[in-house]
Amino acid sequence: MTAFAGIPHNTLVVAVAVAAVGFAAGVVGSFGVLRRRALAGDAAAHATLAGVVIAFLVTGSRDLPTLLLGGFVAAIASLGCLVLIRRATRTRDDAATAIVLSVSFGLGIVLLSGLSARGVPGAGGLEHFLMGHTAALTAADARTLGVASLAAVLVVWLGLKEATLVAFDPVFAASAGWPVAAIDYALITLVAGMVVVGLPAAGAVLVTALVVIPPVAARQWTDRVPSMLLVSGMIGLAAALGGVAASALVPRLATGPMIVLVAAALFAVSFFFAPRRGWLARRRSALAAAGK
Amino acid sequence: MPFAAVNAPVDGRLRGIALRAAIGCDILLNHQNMDFEGSKSSRFDALLGRRCWLGWCLAVGFAAPLASAAERAAPRVLATTTVVADLLRQVAGDRVAIDTLMGPGIDPHGYKATPRDADRLARADLVVASGLHLEGKLGELLAKLGRRARVVAVAESLPQDRLLEVAPGLHDPHVWFDARLWSLATPAAAEALAALDPSGADTYRERARDYASRLERLDDALGARVATIPAERRVLVTAHDAFRYFGRAYGIEVVGVQGTSTESEAGIADINRLVDLIVARKLPAVFVETSVSDRNVQALQEGARARGQPVALGGRLYSDSLGGPGSGAETLEAVLAANVETIVAGLAGER
Amino acid sequence: MAATDAAPAVEFHDVTVAYGRRPVLWNIDLAVSAPGLFGIIGPNGAGKSTLVKAALGLVPLAGGSVRLFGRPLAEVRHRIGYVPQRETVDWDFPVNVMDVVLMGTYGRLGWFRRPGARERAAAREALDRVGLADVASRQIGRLSGGQQQRVFLARALAQEADLYFLDEPLAGVDARSQERIFRVLDDLRRSGRLVIVVHHDLRSAADWFDGVALVDMRLVAAGPVGEVLTPENLRRTYAGPLDVLDELGRAVARGGRTA
Repeated sequence: MTAFAGIPHNTLVVAVAVAAVGFAAGVVGSFGVLRRRALAGDAAAHATLAGVVIAFLVTGSRDLPTLLLGGFVAAIASLGCLVLIRRATRTRDDAATAIVLSVSFGLGIVLLSGLSARGVPGAGGLEHFLMGHTAALTAADARTLGVASLAAVLVVWLGLKEATLVAFDPVFAASAGWPVAAIDYALITLVAGMVVVGLPAAGAVLVTALVVIPPVAARQWTDRVPSMLLVSGMIGLAAALGGVAASALVPRLATGPMIVLVAAALFAVSFFFAPRRGWLARRRSALAAAGK
Repeated sequence: MPFAAVNAPVDGRLRGIALRAAIGCDILLNHQNMDFEGSKSSRFDALLGRRCWLGWCLAVGFAAPLASAAERAAPRVLATTTVVADLLRQVAGDRVAIDTLMGPGIDPHGYKATPRDADRLARADLVVASGLHLEGKLGELLAKLGRRARVVAVAESLPQDRLLEVAPGLHDPHVWFDARLWSLATPAAAEALAALDPSGADTYRERARDYASRLERLDDALGARVATIPAERRVLVTAHDAFRYFGRAYGIEVVGVQGTSTESEAGIADINRLVDLIVARKLPAVFVETSVSDRNVQALQEGARARGQPVALGGRLYSDSLGGPGSGAETLEAVLAANVETIVAGLAGER
Repeated sequence: MAATDAAPAVEFHDVTVAYGRRPVLWNIDLAVSAPGLFGIIGPNGAGKSTLVKAALGLVPLAGGSVRLFGRPLAEVRHRIGYVPQRETVDWDFPVNVMDVVLMGTYGRLGWFRRPGARERAAAREALDRVGLADVASRQIGRLSGGQQQRVFLARALAQEADLYFLDEPLAGVDARSQERIFRVLDDLRRSGRLVIVVHHDLRSAADWFDGVALVDMRLVAAGPVGEVLTPENLRRTYAGPLDVLDELGRAVARGGRTA
């Protein structure tokens, strides 16, 4: 792909990759937020670092699909630990999440710094998974991320009614015979997968922002699930492209963090200006009601 | 953050400890003369006191000479990077064994010390660093160490007007790539070793002068080699801005994807700017480094390829670290020569 | 229509349920036949909701079994409708009234199929029956308590079941909605279905139900409302002031209204 409309190849490649990831993260993350499990996504995100490093140690390979697979395995393992801790001890959700998050992240950092301290050849690239290496995404990376993002969105679209049902009223769903626990785990696995796919774009530390901020912003604009997913996806996409544009126009501006900042700005706009649910709209209607 | 070169006589330290112990014992002894209840205790104290006094006399008598002999036999010198270690070895010869904190292939910009490293640093008699924030994350540790032990930063002994500024008050630390400039650091290495081991002072200073002239001759040779590259192709594109002194000294333009420190992250604008440069100047090759990730350079190659101007990977340069044993690039001289050969082959070779 | 099943619609055999080591229901033996409007009454924390959840397989049984239409739950799920307590749901969830009622039809659709015209028609009919047709596109958080309860009821109606379980459907509901709900339940009874309701209010029980079960961890009594709601039984179930219960009991025995 040569330059398109005067846009340099690298910018295009990165834009396509992060647009796909941003959209999919917004869509998939919506269910994490609706199901009130956003924190679990964060725990999974922090565990991916250890998974990436271990995948490198075990296979010696540095190609993206291998490393992402390692990250995914670690993410699932951390979520499994989360469930175990909640069941076996009587630790509450937030404390259990904090434990899993910090322990797995600590393990990842120890492994990573151990590798770079020993000067292991090839380990230099791994620390990019901490903060993302968005600007250096290649066309092959973009293909991997694009396919994974598309797959995630398709899965959500396919199981939309089941996911909405279980997220809204799991008690009723169970009474009607739906396997609520299985669907729940499938949703969380999907969020974990999305978090892993987002790693090259935003890094382990920031990727949670991609799955949490767009859905929360989207909720301000709509009262129906299908449109919330779409708006969330669009906000994720806009944030991604905004971050890419900023990084392409201003020198020495890291792309991953810019994407998160744009997403936060879009959330702020949504919070203030959304019709009906926005802060301004609510103040206006409160004043109007008081006036009557 | 300049490191203080503190003069703490090493063999005197043990004498000091012995002295303090003797004084403490004296205090214990004087106990005896005070009025205490219980005649038994005073008799016990008296016994203990006499034995104690005798024991410490022996200790002071024997330990101090023994200790001094031990120190003189094996001073522990720890260099932070392989480049600094090489400098010390050239100057010290066989007289002193030099240890290195960060081995070959390790990136000193982002290296975080482990407790074991802190231990090694504390137990060394002399710690020699490069300085100018090259060992970015070790800075605080070295500064704390500088208050209690001997810490020298060789690059900070260089005249400031010869250094390249990165930001107000902040200088580019990759000074060893200018052989002539690095030769000006040899006296600092010699003085540090001389202070540690005064008996070898003359040897160190002579070796330092020899090494400096070798570096000057190398400097001329390198310049001549680089001049063989056609003028319009004399652009060195690498992973990070490590080669600015090299560029200034040998007449070649240098551009890094990341900034002066590998801790900074490249943005899209930076990548595009470099692709534009590669295409505009029709560069045949770009270069990766041994201690830095390839990812950014790979992105450059893809960008250039998309513009119909594929650029080859010219080779791997040694940047913040020398080569390991058996690599053929274990000394700075070998590394400079190897780097220049790689660069010349990549840029001057037929497309 | 399922009025002519041979077996009783609901049968609890020696059902025991415990949360951890704390027993909530103990040796419950109860059989209820269709058609009817049957109430489950008892003090707070008596295990009334748990009894319904046990029937629906939502809590594990520490002992005993439940049969619906003479069969295990898994075989007859499609004939059951459920209205859970309102607190189980986040009313800020981005769904509107129609979305929620359509969820009642999901059981019939199975995996991955979307609701079609037939399901929408069933949902609209259910909304008509509970009187919410005009708020079909309103987000559920913007409904009154009574309206929210009616949405849940409409969803259960959309399940087109033969046996309905309702968990405290009238708690915190305004009088008009209560009337509306009662009429719907009455219609269900008249069409041959069994409706089992966990009810919070002793006073209205006699007006509403054909039969009741008094539950306080154990089954105190069950049967036609006149026979069960005696002062003696009420005393055994509730620990409240005896004179109030006495009066209640005597009023019920007289068959009069307990205003």
